[in-house]
Amino acid sequence: MTPMKSFTLPDRSTVVWFVTLCVMILVVFIPIYFMFKYSISDRSSIVTGGDIVPLWPYHPTLKTFAFILGYPDFYRAAGVSFKLAMLTITMSMTLGVPAAYVLSRYNIPGKAVLLMGLISVRLFPDIVSIIPVAVAFARLRLHDTYFGAAMAHSLLALPYVLYICMGIFESIPKDLERQAEILGAGKGYILWRIIIPLSATGLAAGAIYTFLLSWDEFIFSYFLLGFGELTTLPLYLKHKMAFAPPQDLLMAISMLLSLPVIVFTMLLQRYMRSGLTAGAVK
Amino acid sequence: MSFLKESLNKYKLEFLMLLPVCLYLTGFLVIIFYYLISLSLTYVAPDYAETFPSLRNYFFIFHSPEFKTAFLNSLLFVIVGTPLELAAGLVLALLIYRNFRFRGIVRSIFIVPLAVPAMVTAIILLVLFEYPSGHINNILLGRHWFFPEVIAVPVNWRDSAFFALGVSLLGKVWRDMPISMLILLAGLNSITLDQYLAAETMGAGSRQKFRYITLPLLLPSISTVLIIRSIEMWKEFIFPYFLARRYHLMGTFIETLYHDWNKQGEAAAVSVILVFCIIGFSAFLFWFLKRVRVGLISI
Repeated sequence: MTPMKSFTLPDRSTVVWFVTLCVMILVVFIPIYFMFKYSISDRSSIVTGGDIVPLWPYHPTLKTFAFILGYPDFYRAAGVSFKLAMLTITMSMTLGVPAAYVLSRYNIPGKAVLLMGLISVRLFPDIVSIIPVAVAFARLRLHDTYFGAAMAHSLLALPYVLYICMGIFESIPKDLERQAEILGAGKGYILWRIIIPLSATGLAAGAIYTFLLSWDEFIFSYFLLGFGELTTLPLYLKHKMAFAPPQDLLMAISMLLSLPVIVFTMLLQRYMRSGLTAGAVK
Repeated sequence: MSFLKESLNKYKLEFLMLLPVCLYLTGFLVIIFYYLISLSLTYVAPDYAETFPSLRNYFFIFHSPEFKTAFLNSLLFVIVGTPLELAAGLVLALLIYRNFRFRGIVRSIFIVPLAVPAMVTAIILLVLFEYPSGHINNILLGRHWFFPEVIAVPVNWRDSAFFALGVSLLGKVWRDMPISMLILLAGLNSITLDQYLAAETMGAGSRQKFRYITLPLLLPSISTVLIIRSIEMWKEFIFPYFLARRYHLMGTFIETLYHDWNKQGEAAAVSVILVFCIIGFSAFLFWFLKRVRVGLISI
């Protein structure tokens, strides 16, 4: 008997395993299915006049999406979200990438403590840190501004940016830098011509992760922008809920909000997994 | 001193690269600490006269029935939710742990909940659990052929603390399953096949292998999941905010105090209490898990 064979489980447990696997896949997909279903429902599949709401719409239609996409308010909100996310990327990458490089390349005494200290600000629950931040920003007149909201979002993103970028820089062999150094390259030159090009893909992953974080962020946006002129997409969805809108509208906006997140998370999960499990608390 | 100066000169660029992020994060840390403490200790009278320092905010909080309910709800949320998250993560991790052909795809599928924004998950649940004719009510009423009748009248899920917070918990567990799964999977992968084989040579059955190898070796990952998840449960805001507006957890209570009742001081006081709850509970979990570890290994 080979070792691998003795490890094969008996048949009954394989059946149990398979059934559980199918059930869990269903559990994962049910909410997403219903979001999709409602977003393509026609009017008669939602207002049924006492009949049961069908599990698949009577006449699937993309009319709701067309309606939302023809609505200036939606574009304005998506635009605000996009600008805010871009500003957040700029800020958190400018701050985070150089620091991540130094932290991954040099044996700084007390590095672990320094890293813990840097991330400790995120150990406060969002709902706790937003109260002092909102009050401080109101006094500094950063309330209701792109800059203030981007600062808050960068605060959320920085620990992830640090972790993801440190992982990327560690994967570049140190010898490359040594060789360049021997050939007479300065520190700045090495950074700009060797490190950045080699880590570009990974840095892009970090930037996209920051984008997603800012794109669907709710708590900080709600406290800092919720009652002003700037409405991000999550806030737009929240405002819409106040008017008890039909489910198709609600779910279609939800689809448009979550689709980029789902797609990019699937594409980039390799990079994100390290950031998610590295103890950075989300 | 001269050594410090020398290395500063040598590593000037590196120092300049590291400094901004340190200043930025420390700045926020200072803001959070300073305002949290000063706000919670400042009492604002109805005529806007401020008294500092004053423990009146804490006094009001401790005497308000709303806070007591919010605290108990949060505690229940943590005590019920944390093991649920562990169980869900463990099921997913054990499913993936086997070698099978579509393993990579299935793992990607199991990560999907994490990619759905929390507020979207909450709104989907809001629609599914609608009263009186949401999908869940329809299914439980037996109006579909594939499910038997469980209830006779539709349930108003938002009308009782039990159901409203229960549905919030369901959403929270669903969305965060992948994180627990990834941590536990890393733990499972660190157990080598040799250890099982050695146990088998000595005649261990599958139950013994689980009890004496998998469980003790997985305990560090389990501890991580329990501690991280319990912190998450304490600070939960989005799900109860959308699904249980009338039944507060501490997180949503802070928001109500701040926005609806315009009491910044009391909101800050509850925030401070929430932080202490988290610290205290985590310390308790540490202590408890240490005892469990000792117990598991000594037998």
